This record gives sequence, structure tokens and C-alpha cells, in this order.
Amino acid sequence: MSKCFIKVGCLSAVTILALASCQEEQDFTNVNVDATRVSVNTISPEMAKVRDYVPQYAVMAHRGSTFWGPEETEAAWRWAREMGADYLESDLQCTKDGVILANHDENLCRTTNIENVYGEYVPQTRKDFYMAHGATAAQAEEWYKADVASFRPYYAMSYMYEELLALDAGTWFNESSLEQARNNFSPKSPDNPMGQHQYVSALSDQIAFAEGKILKRNADGERIYSVTGTWDPANPRDCLTYTLEYEADPEDTGNRPGIYIEFKESWLNPSDFEQRVYDELDRLGWNIITRPCDGVPNYKNGKVNVGNANGKVVLQTFSLESLRRTAGVFKGQIPMCFLLWEGKGATDLKVNTPQGYADFINMALENKAHIIGPSIAGAPNNYGELDAPWQAYLIARAKMLNHPYSFDSYAQMGKYMGQYNWGNTTQFDDLLGVTVDGKLWTVYLNGLFTNRSELTLRYLIENGFRCNPQFDNASAPAYVPDPVETLERLGY
Amino acid sequence: MKRHIILCAAAAFALSVAAQDFDNNPTVKIDNKEEDLHFTVGARMMMDAAWYHTDFTPMKSGAKLTDARIRTSMAYRNWYFYADFDFSGGKFKQKNIFLQYSFDPDNAYGGIHSIKAGYFNDPAGMARNTSLGSLHFINRAAPTVALCPGRELGIAYKYYNNPFYSNIGVFAENLYNDQPSGYQGVAVGGRWLYRPINDGTTAFHIGASFHYENLNVGKTENNVKMTELVLGTPMETLVDDTQFVEAILPYARNVYNIGAEVLYVSPKFFARAEYMWKHVTKKRDDQTLFEANLGSIDSWGTLESWQNGNPLGSNSFNGAYIEAGYKIFGPDYRYNSAEGLLGGLSGRSLEIVARYSYTGLNDKVDGEYYSAGRDQYYPNGMIADYPATSLSIGGGNLHSVTVGANFSFNKFVQVMLEYNYNHLDRDKYMEDSNFNCIQGRLMFSF
Repeated sequence: MSKCFIKVGCLSAVTILALASCQEEQDFTNVNVDATRVSVNTISPEMAKVRDYVPQYAVMAHRGSTFWGPEETEAAWRWAREMGADYLESDLQCTKDGVILANHDENLCRTTNIENVYGEYVPQTRKDFYMAHGATAAQAEEWYKADVASFRPYYAMSYMYEELLALDAGTWFNESSLEQARNNFSPKSPDNPMGQHQYVSALSDQIAFAEGKILKRNADGERIYSVTGTWDPANPRDCLTYTLEYEADPEDTGNRPGIYIEFKESWLNPSDFEQRVYDELDRLGWNIITRPCDGVPNYKNGKVNVGNANGKVVLQTFSLESLRRTAGVFKGQIPMCFLLWEGKGATDLKVNTPQGYADFINMALENKAHIIGPSIAGAPNNYGELDAPWQAYLIARAKMLNHPYSFDSYAQMGKYMGQYNWGNTTQFDDLLGVTVDGKLWTVYLNGLFTNRSELTLRYLIENGFRCNPQFDNASAPAYVPDPVETLERLGY
Repeated sequence: MKRHIILCAAAAFALSVAAQDFDNNPTVKIDNKEEDLHFTVGARMMMDAAWYHTDFTPMKSGAKLTDARIRTSMAYRNWYFYADFDFSGGKFKQKNIFLQYSFDPDNAYGGIHSIKAGYFNDPAGMARNTSLGSLHFINRAAPTVALCPGRELGIAYKYYNNPFYSNIGVFAENLYNDQPSGYQGVAVGGRWLYRPINDGTTAFHIGASFHYENLNVGKTENNVKMTELVLGTPMETLVDDTQFVEAILPYARNVYNIGAEVLYVSPKFFARAEYMWKHVTKKRDDQTLFEANLGSIDSWGTLESWQNGNPLGSNSFNGAYIEAGYKIFGPDYRYNSAEGLLGGLSGRSLEIVARYSYTGLNDKVDGEYYSAGRDQYYPNGMIADYPATSLSIGGGNLHSVTVGANFSFNKFVQVMLEYNYNHLDRDKYMEDSNFNCIQGRLMFSF
């Protein structure tokens, strides 16, 4: 009997060890395998229709351009439009008096001269502003004191838009980017007679530039605007009306890009900010929910026409709160991108595993997003890698679009377009493989946030991803102008 | 030198005294009748092999030396000293080391009083006081690992006679050389049994246990001491000891355990079950933490608002198991009256065993949203950038079923074979539900 049990025991041990050695799938945590089997939801047919408003291999001019001009200004966005980018990208915040403006950082220090103009004080002109809008001297004094008590220096939320129009949003660029500096990014002056004051842009400015307009300026080169209404401290964001004037851009060559607008962190903006943006888009005729553009192509006669089509507005955010609120306001009827950043911050992807990544995708889908916007690695930004092949594959499994950010170099484009796979097949080709002119590419994106629109557009055209009926962009501009000549043509 | 040689020679003899964590009689005994001195030395080895199959998260199949123990004891008149140490995995681990004094039998009730001091298992709970080598299963039921107190440094008083058993102890919060800051807390634990049947062949006991622990040792952050209690268990296996069930409880301060147990032993059959409930209350220096948050434009404005954003709540967990065994052949099952425990296999024998266990470390607030990408719960079911701290604890619920067969070649050598199924419900492992395990053990002890 003992011999029998010895045999059984030995056989059992051998069986267990044999089983242990032959179970390849469970051998270790393999993100490439897990990306194929982790649970991820799929975009609904209804949402897919909205997703498809966005052109394939779209080029988003990141802040207009951070390389060639002062970001999120008239100069940067005009340049991007003329280069042929599909979208003018921006970051939206809200002023104390309710104007929606574009500014990337949480404050205005880096991209304006606000520290020199106002210092860390409530602008001295504040009381005059109140009195110009119906306040008595006593009221102005009372409201000014209240402003001082709640003042957050350099944050857009603490300033009237008119106060921010006094800032110079162009000169800083000349001081920080010496090789791309241009005098005309600075305001007009006796020493700089051709200067074009670059302002902190309103959302309506961005849309005007996309429509082929420029700021209407007076003889001194300052923009023309008016502010009407009576100040109501109980209703500060809705009591005044700004009339910002524009005129046709004489240098416009007909491209009509869309806008790709980001809701910044929730604490920078009022809790109804998404509704305010909805209303502003409506007011400006850019809300396709109320004014659909069915049947309008994204490219027409060799020009970008996204700004006239249903994909004219794409929303984006890193904020979980804004993601949720956007779903409530826009109801998934306008393309929405959920941006990803790896880290331990309040909205960051903390668990960068297939499960964690899939969870963020699912959360995006539950909140009616159509696009995932992961960060990419590589110089000069060296962001965390969130668009590795397995991650791009997960996005593709969800049938969402993948718009990684932000591209600054040919090397980055080559990597994420799959050029450096050298035509080899990969394990993700079932969803990421694209054959162009007989050559297999494993493409890890569906659109690019780029600081170098000229490089990105050329790359896509030269490799057959643009101006190709296969991707429904045959009518896109086939020629990419010289970036420097374009700046000069635009008067910078 | 001669004296040393005599002492060493004395170590070659053994004494038949029931030992903590080994309940078989040591083989190497030294008796010095002149001095009434009895010395034993022994050892134990467990080698496990396991094969796992999971839904998603891999477990590391293979083999492992899960126990490599050396034990020694010495008895002198009413005094008894015991120590054992584990070297498995190449690491030295202090196990039990204690001194016990047993009073002469109580003539009136036939009971025995004893006092034990040192490092040993807290009396609360049946399974945690049962030696791994006598368990009849390859590992303890998961709820006992997760919820029951283990070894502690302190002193215990035990009294037992035929129908009654009482064991209570007081212990320090000894963290085994890991005491960052703070005085040590204190714990008290006890186990009480009533044995309506205890006739030498059959025994039946019902019992209760209680354990209270005040945690006081913690790490210091922002000039505030933060205590922490970590509860957890691997699957009911030791080869891969990943704690798939785990709850981390910052600021835990008072820990209450209440348990109930029942055990039936007959010559060919045993059945036992245990239920355990754990309640953890927390304490935090809110005022100091609030003051530490001041100084920024984003600071919380009032203590009350800070507390609302950072609530602190108590948690409750529970678990239970029921297990049974049937002896196909071999010496009868034995009930150890002195410990109120079932003994292990002795001599050539074969048994089949089965167990079901439940471990509940989920203590979640209804309606909260869990994000696996952030490993975070969101109150009110809504994602937010800066949500209030959630009170949910998603440590996981685990249902486990085990069937096995154990064969003992003789009093020294035993092989065990088990199939173990685990069903996990834990948000963190949302892709994982089913964990299958086939495992075996070769155990040798003397």
C-alpha cells in the first residue's frame, strides 16, 4: 500500500510541476496578451456616427503652434490655418466677467506680461471698471474690497476680460524662443511700426480665425471692442456683453479648420463652464447640435473644410469632473476626447496596466467620449508613454479614435505611425494594421496633436495618409507651405 | 568542557511534552532523571508544489519550501520552555519562544492551571492555534489568516479540565523590530470552550473567543502619527503567497475580534467550524493635520470642511469556514484537551478532507464608483477631480472550496494532495473571479 501511495504522490508532484511548466498564457503578466483579453467596452453605433465626424489622421495644431509663434494667439492660429491644419487647438478658461478665453497654464504668468502690468494686486482700474458699468463710487469701493479678499493673482478667474486685453501675449515668445522670435509678435510702437499686439484670445477669437477672419484693429494696432451692461456682483458672468470685432483676413487662402477645445481643470472654471461653452458655440453658430452640417465634406477643392462640417468642434479634457459634466451637457453629440496623463495627480491614470487603462477607456465611453488622447514619449517633452502598442490596441478595441499628444519631431511621427516597424507584421495588425500603396503600417494613432503642423502634414502626405481617397481625405490640401514664408506673408 | 559535553549529550534525549506549533511528540529526547530535566529537539520540513489556473492575473506555479523549522524544548519540574525557528526561503523567522509554568492539578475539579510568557499565538481563535502540521489542509482557511490575531509577545493564563477550557492573555503590540514611532499598544485575547462530550474517543466542544487590540505604533507624517492595520490573505496556498485579498486601514486604532467555534471529533471523523467578526475603529489627529494643510491658497478654510472632505469611519469584516475529514484507515483522530484542538495524523493513515471558507474584506459604501485606473472609490457614484475621501474598503470577498486527501506513511512523513477553488470578488481584480489550484505537500517532522 505504501508503495502505491509513493507512486501516487510522485505522480501527483510530477503532474503539478508539468502543468506548471506548460501554461504559457499565465506564466507572467504580459501586457500585450492582457490587452487582447481585458474587458473593454465598445463605442455604441450612435456614438460611432459622431466619432466619424472627425477626419481620419486629423492634424491638430497644438495651441496653434508652440514652435513658430506665441501659443493660442492670433498669430499662431492664423499660421496653423494657413498651413492646412485640420483643427486649431486651445485650452479654455473663464474670466471673472464670464468671457471664455484660451490659456494653457493655470495662470497667465508664462504667456503674458501680467506680472509686470498688474503685479499680485487687483488691477487698479477695477473700481473705474465698476463705475463704467453702473456702480456708484461706494459700490465700486465695496466690490473692490470683496475682490481683494478673494483675489487669486494671475488666474484668469480673478480678472475682467477687458483687463486681460491690456496684456501682451506675444513678446514673451520672442524672449524665450530666440530663433523663432519676430518683432511683429509684439505690439505696435514707434520702434515697431508693423507690430501686431497679440492678445489673450477669447473663444470667439479662435473661431473667427478658423473662419478666415482677423481681429479688427484701430490705427494704433489695438483691437476694437466694446463692453456693455451693468455690473451685477450676484451674477458676474452674465451681466456684461463683450462685442469683439473682426474683419476678413486679407491673407486668408480658404482653409476652414475646426476647433479642438479643452476644458481645463474643473477648479479653474465655474461649475457650469461646459454649459457656457455650449451656449457660446451656439451663439457663434458652431454648435452642430443646434446647427448640424450634415453632408458637408471635411475637405473641399484642395482646402480644409472641417470648420464647415459636423466635425468642426471637438471637445477635450483631462478632468474627470469635466468629462462627466460634458456628457451631461453635450450628450455625446459632439466629438469628445478624454486626455490621459500618467501620474498620481487628481485626474491622472495611476494604474498603468491593461486593466487600469481599459478602465479609463470604459470611463470615457460611459461619459460619452469618442476619442482617447494619450501622451507620447520622446524629446523634447519626454512625457510618459501612454500610446505604447498595447495601449493603442486597447483604444482600437473600443473602436474609439486615438489622438496622442504632442508631436514635435519626425522621429516621433515615424514611431507612432509605425514607420519604424519597417513593414514587419506585428501582433496588433488585426486592428492597427493599415496598408497604404501595398505597404503595411502598424499605426498607433488616428490623429496627431502637433506643434509642427508643417512637418506633420508633409509626413502624412508623403506617406500616403493624406490626400488619399482610401482615408476620405483626397481633397485635402496637397501642398504644405513653407512655415517661415507663411509667417512673413501673414505680416509677422 | 566535560560539563558542556554532558549538557550537549543531555540534548540528545527528549521529553514528551505537547509543544506549540508541533503537536506530534518529539523523537529526539533527553531525560536527566536526577535533575528532573527533560530536553527535546526536533525539526519539520514542508515542501509544496502547486499548479494554478486563473482567469486573468497569473499566479506563479511551481514548488516551494514552505516550512523549514527547528524546535527545541526543555522541561524542569513544572517549568517548560519551548522555542522554534523557521529558515524557509533562506530567511530566519522567529516563531514561538516561551516559558510556561504549570501548577499542580486542581484536586477539586481535576483541572490544570498554567501561565505562559513569551512570544506565541494569541489564544483567540481555533485555527490560528492549530499547528500547520496538524491542520489536515495545506494552508489555514483564508478568513483565519485575514482576520485572526497571530503570534504576540505577552503572558497568558490557561485553565482547563475535562469539560472546560479557558485561555486568556495580555500582549504588547510587538512589531518585531519594526516600531517607527509611538509607544506600543496592548492587546487582550481569550478563548473559552465548553465540552459536553470529551470521553477520550469522542469530543465535542463549542467555544467563543474575543480579542481586543489597541494599536499605537505608527509612522509619523506631518508631525502626526499614523497607525495602520493591514489585513489580508493569499489564496489557500503557500507557493504563491500574493495577497489577492487585502485591506489597508490607515489610522486604525482599536481592533475588536469576536469569534465562535464548534468542533466534533470521533475516531474516524472530524468536523469543525469557526466564525470571526472584526471591527476596527480609527483615530486621527484632525486638528494637527488641518493645521498642516494651512498656508496655501487652496487650503481648507475650516476644520469642519477639512473633516467633511476627509471623513474617517470604522470598518467591519467577517469570515467563516467549515471543514471536515474522514479517516479511511489509520489511528483514530485525537482531541487535545489541553489545547482544545484537533491533533494531526499520527502513524500510517489515510484521510479525505473538505472545506468551505468565506473571507469578507469588502466594506463598501453603497453606490460608490470604483476606478481601476486610479484604484479609487468615488462617493455618490460620481467621478470628480477632488472627491471627498471614500469610506469604502474594497479588500475583497473570497469564497474557497477545498477537497483533499492526506496520507501519512508513518509518524514522520506525510503527503497531502488538494484541489482548491477560489472565487474572488474584488474591484481591484475585476478581471479575476476564478482561481483554481492543485497542490501537494511532502511533510517530514520529527
